[in-house]
Amino acid sequence: MANPKDKYKIPVLDGNIPIPKIVPGASAYEHMVEAQKVDMEALGFPFKLKDGWKEKAIGVFKEILDNNKAVRDYMDICVRCGACTDKCQFFLGTADPNNMPVQRQELMRKVYRYYFTPSGFFKSLSNSQELTEEVLKDWFTYFYQCSECRRCSLYCPYGIDTAEITMAARQIMDSIGLGQKYATEVIHKVFKTGNNIGIPPLALRNTLDDLEEEIKDESGKDVKIPMDVEGAEVLLVPPSADFFAMPHMESLKGYAKVFYKSGISYTVSSYASEAGNFGMFLGSYKNAKEINKRIWDEARRLKVKRVVIGECGHAWRAAYTYSNTMNGPFDFLDSKYRQPMHICEFTLGLVKDGVVKLDPSANDDKVVTFHDSCNVARGSRMGDFKGGQIVIPRELIKAAANKFVELREGTTKESTYCCGAGGGLLTEEVMNLRLAGAMPRMQTVKEAVDNHGVNFYALICAICKTQFSKIFPLHGFEEEMVGGIHQLVSNAIIL
Amino acid sequence: MTPLNLTTAIFLFFTYTVGLIFVIAVVLRIYQYATTPQPIKLPLTPAPLTAGGAFARILGEVIFFKSLFKSNKPTWLFGYLFHIAFFLLIFMHFLRHFIYANPLPWWYDIFVDIGIVCGITMVLSLFFLLMRRVLVERVKFISLFSDYIILILIMLIGLAGLSLNYVISPSALTVVDNQLDPYMNGLLNFQFTNIPSNPVFLIHYTLVLLLVLYIPFSKVMHFVGIFFSPTRNMVDNPEEERYYRPNAKDLSI
Repeated sequence: MANPKDKYKIPVLDGNIPIPKIVPGASAYEHMVEAQKVDMEALGFPFKLKDGWKEKAIGVFKEILDNNKAVRDYMDICVRCGACTDKCQFFLGTADPNNMPVQRQELMRKVYRYYFTPSGFFKSLSNSQELTEEVLKDWFTYFYQCSECRRCSLYCPYGIDTAEITMAARQIMDSIGLGQKYATEVIHKVFKTGNNIGIPPLALRNTLDDLEEEIKDESGKDVKIPMDVEGAEVLLVPPSADFFAMPHMESLKGYAKVFYKSGISYTVSSYASEAGNFGMFLGSYKNAKEINKRIWDEARRLKVKRVVIGECGHAWRAAYTYSNTMNGPFDFLDSKYRQPMHICEFTLGLVKDGVVKLDPSANDDKVVTFHDSCNVARGSRMGDFKGGQIVIPRELIKAAANKFVELREGTTKESTYCCGAGGGLLTEEVMNLRLAGAMPRMQTVKEAVDNHGVNFYALICAICKTQFSKIFPLHGFEEEMVGGIHQLVSNAIIL
Repeated sequence: MTPLNLTTAIFLFFTYTVGLIFVIAVVLRIYQYATTPQPIKLPLTPAPLTAGGAFARILGEVIFFKSLFKSNKPTWLFGYLFHIAFFLLIFMHFLRHFIYANPLPWWYDIFVDIGIVCGITMVLSLFFLLMRRVLVERVKFISLFSDYIILILIMLIGLAGLSLNYVISPSALTVVDNQLDPYMNGLLNFQFTNIPSNPVFLIHYTLVLLLVLYIPFSKVMHFVGIFFSPTRNMVDNPEEERYYRPNAKDLSI
């Protein structure tokens, strides 16, 4: 049995994030496994390339250009100034030039020039390129080496969003039968069971019973995690990893204790047992809407007054941005509250009102730092003020723990690095890519550990938690350092 | 009125043709950007919560290149110098037409000197931007033929313009100046006169026509596109106000 350390290319941690010399094709070998027939069909996509795929692809491309202002605009206006070239964690980690955001975009832009601009006429001069199987192969490789974290867009003088271009490319590929196994399989599971992991209702109830017992053993209190209860005040929708994965479950315990202490009735749902929305990763409006719809159908059925979303990055962006647009309006819910609301805002509100009391000294064994999740920091908001998504999690951490240090400046808040596994990359076959993508963040972690003795790495994203639980041990850090903010709350709450 | 020479006839034809193509192509492009629907909200957060705030954000990008400043200081500095100089030069070329009278205002020489400073600044900053494309490995890798062409074209325009002040004799420049004013008037009110025949001027003029013709089909359209960039111009209020575009097809988000 090979030691995982021999199996993977593990970056050396010395605290520096140098800009690498480019190595063409350096990460060309990292491929996703192609989607299975049953999953593609469940999502409404064909399976495998068929005759006429090229015309179909260009047709879909045209439709996207005609119906998506972002893609339409961003295809034209890049001036290749290079501001983004050293901003993507996947380029910093792999040195592959196709992982420079502008070059990733160029994979699509050169096809755009060929079919949709007059300069496509001057083929060699304008770098325009017919959509061939060769090009499609590059697309499948490199548009699945982007985690749609939008760090490049922050630094672009025009705000060009590579995530939008990645989504459009994935959408074109899916519509001609070239899909990614991981994300399509996950979405198919949501349609079958209500969550990404495929836990059926009875198994979910069993897990919740076990958790209730655990809390009882630890605290002596009868903290309940109700499921499918009609008439509860709050529908709580955590990412499904919170039900069974570590350290995610520790945060679920935290949510449960907050509800217990506040006396607000709540329920989770076996039908909408997933906050995550992988439809976003595919860039598929239809699938994103279907997944999101389950939450609001369930809110109607269970007659709740409000919806609260658990700790998950892209899930929060999807819930925050898409819900009202895709499945609103929510006039059947209580208009006093934000719909949906993030669990951090929910808990912090109760703490500030004095309903829930936290004893931060319970976490005195921890020096805490916080990793802003890309989709929260750059794609959403908490609270009713600009930047709430940056401030509220920090305030909650400081309420729950005494020792808090920030990670290196320029890599936090809206400038945060992605964990390296978002956007549908959280899959085993691209482990080396995940290691490379996590490298910039791990350098800052190394620095925080060395200089400040950090021993708890607080997160609010299920994907970040899974990714770093895997990456930390490979770098020689304790897996137990990784945890959620509500894990801190769970320790600190006075029941 | 002197009869028009062949050179003038040719330049008149191309000036109007290029002008027409430019206006039509740019207007069409603006129409296209403005009318393409945006399926979902997409502001890059933290983003303004009001329309006024979002507009101010766009102005911050247009006037100060705030995001570029955040990402790369040298590129920002030289990019900014270039754009300011370029913008001032265009503005002063138009302005010149209105202040060129007989007798010249006392500050005309200062006006010209400012123009020359702008011209030199523009050419030097373009040279830096060009060197960046040649010398910085990553930027060299991403640069396309068209990226070099546009830099060189604008540089040549600047050099030809400066040559009018430094290469040809002052008396020749005065001749150009005296012929140019009625020619430009003629373009506007269709009372055509001959174009200045100085070859340096004609090179300058021809290159400008080429640039104007090329703009609508090139990356220079970023000057329009930035106003339509959803990550920058959208208000962050998807929960407060329902954003719904029924005409946005259920395709890509």
